[in-house]
Amino acid sequence: MERNIAIPGDVVSDNIKMSGSGTYVHGDTVRASVYGLLNVGERYISVIPLAGKYIPCASDRVIGIITEVVYSNWIVDINSPYEGLLHISQYPRRIDSENMSKYLKVGDCILTMVASVDAGMKVELTLREKELRVLSNGRIVTINPTKMPRVIGRNGSMIRLLKSEIGCNMFVGQNGRIWINGSDDCIDLAIQTVKYIEDNAHTPGLTERVQAFLKAKEKTRYGKVHESRNDEE
Amino acid sequence: MSDDVMAEIHRDYLFNLVLKGERDDGRAFDEFRDISIETGVAGMAEGSALVTLGDTQILVGIKIQPGEPFPDTPDVGVIITNAELIPMASPEYEAGPPREGAIEIARVVDRGIRESKAIDLEKLCMIEGEKVWIIFIDIHVLNNGGNIIDAASIGSIAALLNTTLPAERYGLGEDSPLPVRDIPIAITAIEFGGELILDPSLEEGKLAGTVYTVITNSDNGISGMQKSGVEPLTIDQVMRVVDMAGTAAAKIREKFLEV
Amino acid sequence: MSEKPEHFIIDGKRLDGRRVDELRSVKIKLSPLDRADGSCYIEWGRNKIMAAVYGPRELHPRHRQNMTKAVVQYRYNMAAFSVSDRIRPGHSRRSIEISKVGRDAFEYVVFTKFFPKTAIDVFIEVLQADAGTRTAGINAASLALADAGIPMRGLVSACAVGKVDGEIVLDLMKEEDNFGEADVPVAMAAGGKITHLQMDGHLTRDEFYEALKLAKIGCDKVYKLQRQALIEKYSGDYAENGEDAITQSEGDADE
Repeated sequence: MERNIAIPGDVVSDNIKMSGSGTYVHGDTVRASVYGLLNVGERYISVIPLAGKYIPCASDRVIGIITEVVYSNWIVDINSPYEGLLHISQYPRRIDSENMSKYLKVGDCILTMVASVDAGMKVELTLREKELRVLSNGRIVTINPTKMPRVIGRNGSMIRLLKSEIGCNMFVGQNGRIWINGSDDCIDLAIQTVKYIEDNAHTPGLTERVQAFLKAKEKTRYGKVHESRNDEE
Repeated sequence: MSDDVMAEIHRDYLFNLVLKGERDDGRAFDEFRDISIETGVAGMAEGSALVTLGDTQILVGIKIQPGEPFPDTPDVGVIITNAELIPMASPEYEAGPPREGAIEIARVVDRGIRESKAIDLEKLCMIEGEKVWIIFIDIHVLNNGGNIIDAASIGSIAALLNTTLPAERYGLGEDSPLPVRDIPIAITAIEFGGELILDPSLEEGKLAGTVYTVITNSDNGISGMQKSGVEPLTIDQVMRVVDMAGTAAAKIREKFLEV
Repeated sequence: MSEKPEHFIIDGKRLDGRRVDELRSVKIKLSPLDRADGSCYIEWGRNKIMAAVYGPRELHPRHRQNMTKAVVQYRYNMAAFSVSDRIRPGHSRRSIEISKVGRDAFEYVVFTKFFPKTAIDVFIEVLQADAGTRTAGINAASLALADAGIPMRGLVSACAVGKVDGEIVLDLMKEEDNFGEADVPVAMAAGGKITHLQMDGHLTRDEFYEALKLAKIGCDKVYKLQRQALIEKYSGDYAENGEDAITQSEGDADE
């Protein structure tokens, strides 16, 4: 069964007004430009790719790693072909350019936002927004950015499910990096679940599958707790 | 790009795991990832082996041709080992002539095979001073998932065991199996957080202050070693790796009986 | 090297039993390499070829960046042990030329304008060679690009046609390649648009036209195989089944 897989060049519609993301117009047809899942909406037909790089867009929230400190800028790896620049003025408070490494050094993680992207793909970041900050604990898991929408779910339903079922704090960056904080067990489970979503991103009924996955995990988790209690006795 | 700098919080996480006696993939410190060996995969080669060690995939091909011996060793065959860290295998590799990393891998693998006398090189001499068999060991890394040296060493000896001397092609008599009489195996450990860890994954390899390889033979003798990286090792640490390497190599050698 | 056979076609069958318009057996495995952004392993007759795609990624050195589009880089390489007489590792004039025309075969289909300043790197490693490596490499590259999520107008499909015993035949095997009268490797995008074409040997105009028509038929067949491989990756329980390509493909002859 084809399960609505589209392959580059496939004709997906003959109404060129329907051309959405992952498609292009050729003559009077709409064709797939990427290999992925066909998504037929009311107004647009799109193809959701199952692989690909994160290409930054203004106002995207992303998780970055400082790779270099240069004069009045931090260079930030945002898991993209394009590096991010965080200007000293975009740090939440005024700091001296002599002391930049004291506030953010190579290897530090930040929860940041893309402030602007120009035509030459110069990506400027900011930390001067609500929620944005330096991440000093927790863990980061990276998945393919094209699968991020499945981790978030429709109107954030999947991420809410994960947070409440697992009981951990999570932040999903648009660039494929997810920050997770909580107890070690919670983090481990959250990472397993995120990987499960990534592996099954192309399948239908994902929310139910994830619920079942978590339920199965919960059993083994409580089983473990039980065992360890027995050990103590 | 993302491979250059590891997030500080991730490094901390891995460090804390090691302090607890754990690894990210759940292995024990002396535990290898799954190994599979498949021989005869490159049909144009005189011998070949595809080794997977966890995510690492390495294809070793053996080519043999007649040629002149080295002047200082006129009565034995020649071994030439080459490793290619082709850019397919990792976003960090670039095209071009082998750099120090690839050269080191080739030389360590070569050392193990040469020093263990695994190949009976005297049998590869046809006319003293004029004509001997030249054995080319080409190590082709397809996917770098960490610990390339051990995978390359396993692949090389597996390929050699699978090699035929192509005498007929050169009008030099009948084909025969390459005379191999030992199975040298390289075992690599890293030192991290004061602990010694075998078969480092890609990520663990990046954390390592030092990388230490010990090559042992079937009789548990040592035929080669290489320490690389900036951090020192204590005598005690070195001996622990030697012991761990002997045990781990013996286990891997059992795999060869299955092939 | 083997000697020239007296006849290449006997009773309508070629040396390996194929008809004149038949491809060798083809096995395709998608995503065998986990470090690459996209990858594909192909066995084409006795050829064994791995293709990997990295990118779009930052292009170094900077002066090679194009401000308006991605630069496609294509590296065709033969493993030292891929042929009878060991070849010296590294570039040769032959591999440089094949790399260039390989890149050209994809320039038309890849939407490079989406990724200014970046590189899209395609690596082809020939592990075992037996005539037709450049076309098999293009076929694998096409799938590796799709696998990496690179936007494209469509797939590129390639095959060689040639002439032996005075007849035009599809997909030359080693003996036909060595001793035949002509060799024409062709790659096509959707609609029969030719993105790669080379020729050596001797053909009349009419023979060449016939060869091109046969190449179109061949490319259509290849396209079907490529398409099937892409569909299969996500049908069934692929996710639980990501084993290694080379080991798997050995046993999967009738997949």
